[in-house]
Amino acid sequence: MAHIHLEDGSFTVFWVLVWWVIAVLLIGIALYLLRSSKKPDPKKITIAAFVTTAAFAIFQVQVPIFGGVHLNLTPLIGILAGPLLGSLIIFVVNILSAAIGHGGWGLVGANILVNLSEVFVAWIAFRMMKKFVSSRFSQAGIAAIAALLVGNLVMMGIILVSGIQGVHQTPGELLTGLSLLAAVNMGVAVIEAFITGFIIVYIGKIRPDLLEGGKE
Amino acid sequence: MNLKENSGLIIFGVLAIVVVLAAFIALETTGTMGIEDRYNQAVGLPAGDEEKEGGFSLEGNPLMYIGILVVLVALSLVFHRYLGKV
Repeated sequence: MAHIHLEDGSFTVFWVLVWWVIAVLLIGIALYLLRSSKKPDPKKITIAAFVTTAAFAIFQVQVPIFGGVHLNLTPLIGILAGPLLGSLIIFVVNILSAAIGHGGWGLVGANILVNLSEVFVAWIAFRMMKKFVSSRFSQAGIAAIAALLVGNLVMMGIILVSGIQGVHQTPGELLTGLSLLAAVNMGVAVIEAFITGFIIVYIGKIRPDLLEGGKE
Repeated sequence: MNLKENSGLIIFGVLAIVVVLAAFIALETTGTMGIEDRYNQAVGLPAGDEEKEGGFSLEGNPLMYIGILVVLVALSLVFHRYLGKV
């Protein structure tokens, strides 16, 4: 659930452009790989559409704990849609969210990178966990926690590298503040892990074929 | 439940407990606040509507905001026109 909630203008134009360019490059690579691979599985396209809608909706819902937070469903996106379709989903969700005022335009690039890391790690972790753990709930839950931890680390890295305009904090002070923020975020990550676990168990019961296709 | 299944639940449970404990310790340190205020506090920005020092800003500028939205819609149409067959 790492989503950078800073105003436009927090990063300099240079860093806004850097994160946007990297994000567009990664999405371009995903698009290229999708187009050059065999015809996409219609089931995957359908599930991608569903998780895009669900993720966009849940982005906008403030959960009244820890002073107000929102979930992302990025681990679920990674597990169900994979990193290629997942990167397009993340792009759409972040653009639509910025279009209704959730997150600044200038931060969309950085937020896409944060969410992409979550999607990618969830996808890998879920598949790796299958070797060690048989319960789908645990596979998905552990993958979600790992993904959201990495997402928080990427979020911290992006803010530390970019710096904040008009703020005169030492890197140490910034790191301390961001670490506390990430720790609170991770508390919410546990809720997201439970939700992801239950959804995966449910899908595994009614449509196990949607979980078996680990390849893209 | 077999050992493999139990071990998964144990790992998940331990992870969840450690993470929640860390979250509560962090929450005790920072206090309860909204998500934007939490980010502002973490990076040392003034909370709420207080003015911050200069710099590039789009916030509160509807024209710029609509402008960017129009550019993105136009770009999407162009991309869809030429690259639309995924």
